[in-house]
This record gives sequence, C-alpha cells and structure tokens, in this order.
Amino acid sequence: MPAKKKLILLPCSGVGKPFGTITREAAYQVAQEDRPECTQIVPLSLLVMGDADAKALLMDAEIISLDGCALACASKMAAESGAQVCAAFNAMDVYRAKRQYKPQGISSLNEAGQQLARLLAEQVDAAVDKLTEEGTQDARA
Amino acid sequence: MPELKQNKVGIVSCSGEELAEGTVSRLAALKVLEELRPGETVTICLPLFLAGGEGDRAFARFYPTIAIDGCEKRCAFRATEMFSNTPVMGIVISGLTREQGLERPQGCRKLDETGKKLVEIASIQAAEKVDELLGRRWSRREGVLEPREEDSAQSPKSAPGTEPGQTTCSCGSGIPVLKLKVNAREVEFLALPSIFQNFLENGQPPSPQTLSALMESVKLYTPISSDIEEAARAAVAKAYKAYWDTWQERRG
Repeated sequence: MPAKKKLILLPCSGVGKPFGTITREAAYQVAQEDRPECTQIVPLSLLVMGDADAKALLMDAEIISLDGCALACASKMAAESGAQVCAAFNAMDVYRAKRQYKPQGISSLNEAGQQLARLLAEQVDAAVDKLTEEGTQDARA
Repeated sequence: MPELKQNKVGIVSCSGEELAEGTVSRLAALKVLEELRPGETVTICLPLFLAGGEGDRAFARFYPTIAIDGCEKRCAFRATEMFSNTPVMGIVISGLTREQGLERPQGCRKLDETGKKLVEIASIQAAEKVDELLGRRWSRREGVLEPREEDSAQSPKSAPGTEPGQTTCSCGSGIPVLKLKVNAREVEFLALPSIFQNFLENGQPPSPQTLSALMESVKLYTPISSDIEEAARAAVAKAYKAYWDTWQERRG
C-alpha cells in the first residue's frame, strides 16, 4: 500500500486581528487534536522566505489553506510557491454564517472567537476526511 | 533616504506555528503592541510583503522596525530586509533562550512557564528599543512615555493631513497617505503627509529644486510609471504649495 500523503495546513499568520488567531487555533485543533495522524502545519513565514524544505513539503502534499481576511495570504503563498490548494477556508466566512459570535482578542481569543475556531476546525476536519478518503480510493483504483 | 520623523515603530514577528519559539515571538510582539507600547507601535503580517501591495512593502522604509524571530532562520528579519528595509533590531528567541540559560520552551498552542518568561523578556527588550528609537523615556511611576523635549518646544504645527486621524493606507501597514488626482484618476501617495511635513520643517519652500527633491522622496514609497510622471509631479507640486501656504497662514 502506498504511504499516506500528509495534508498540509496553511493558516494565516496574521497578528493584527482576531481572525488570524482563529485560523491558527483551528489549525492547531486539527493538527494536534482531531487529525494529528494525517495533517501538519507549515508556517507561512517559511514560504515568504522561499524555504526549500517547506516548498518541497508543499509540492508533495495536498494543501488546505485557512485565511483570516480577504487578502488571503495563505492561499496566495501556496500559489506563489507553485503548490495547489485542495480546500480553502476563510475565518470571515465562518463569522458571516454565525454573526452572534463576535471574536475579540488576538493573543487570547474570547469565548466567541474560540467557538468560531472550533467551527472552522470542524469544517477543516470534514475536508481532511474527504481528501483522505479520496486518496484511499485513488490508491485502490 | 531622507529621514522622516517617526512617532511609531514597526514590530514584525515570525509566525512560526510549528515551534514553541514561534509562539513566543508572536506573543512577545503582541504584548508590545497591545500592552507595553500600544500607541507607539504598529505591525504587519509577514506574508503581506509578498501577497500584499506597495503599501505593505513600504512598511519598513517608513517605520523603523524591530523583528522578533523564533529560530535562527530569522524569517521575520530577513523577509523585512529583503522586501522592505533592514530592521533596526532583531530578537531571536532561540538565542535569547540560550543567553538566559533556560530550557527550550514547550507548547506551540499553550506555552509553558519558560515560554511565558521568554515572552516577558523579549517584549521588554523590544519595548525598550521602541523608547530608544522614539527618543523617549518610560515613566515607571506614571506608566506612560515621557514627552520628548522637542514635542514641547516651538516646533512647527502639523500641516493639514499630517494630524491625528489622517488617512492611512488601505493596506494593513497604517502608513499615512494622501490621495491626489493624477490624469483625472485618484492615486494614493504613500507617506506623502510625512514627506511634506519633513520638507516644511526643513524650511524648503515650493520651488523647482524642492519639487525635484520631493519627487525623489515620493518615489521611495510610491512607484510612479513614466507615463504619469509629469502629471504626478504637477499634482505633488500643487499639493505641496497648498500645504506650504496653509502652514504660513497658521504661523501668521
């Protein structure tokens, strides 16, 4: 059986707004708690510097981007590195669907922000499951 | 490059989500921005140097910058240097850990006690550098920055557009901008209020020589293509004359 490909999570590295923290929290939730066996976080700062190891990792993996604003740095950095994003999420979309949760705090999210992070993580979990399932089927075919 | 008078310092941190040292760098930067020197510091997300626009890449040409990195790869320092301008100071958490004789911090998502201690040390170092760069002293008794001597002296009053509440760049950098009509199109000139203020304070009246020097400064922050250069020059000349005249009127 071929070795399972890791899924790379690319969270926004934003430090100026709560939405950046939400994407980071969601990425940690998926990579450390929910799907640690098949996901890995790659920091955008390495891609900004064109780090060869990080780029190689992207080339050989399926990528899920988690952006924190309309500028979509995570998705753009993946494209800039020549990699293809399989699933793209934006924390703003999660908020638009659940406006009752007003996120606050950057170094430490309030409860609403944590709730949005959990919702985002659930969406990413589902995408991970779908992509790994597809990968398994492709391997069987 | 002409030195523009600054009242803010840029803090750029590595994102480093895969290392606890990255989390230390990010939290140290946030502690400076949110708690220690909130009115004196600004930040930018590192990927915006590539994914953003000219305003983002002008960040470290406009603000003196402190880079806080998690590891020896020094992505924040090197990216700032490569895409914008050399930071005036770099703090590397892994090096700081060794200097302090501490164990490596643990917990990317939730820092351990060593990590929290490093956040304190790094943020204080950065805050002290901010004070140095702004030429101010921190009053421990009052918990505020003491005013600079030059602030209380008879320095020229701000020109229009350089006052608090002025327009800032639509990117994340917070650089003040002035929008001028160039060939019937609105163009955003980065840092132009600060450039005008600098020229005013140097007592440079509107003249062809001043305009040439102004345009050199303008181009450091806003790329101007050759097809609009003449029109841009005329727009800047007109705007600077208006600044100058207003300032003269205010002085009486």
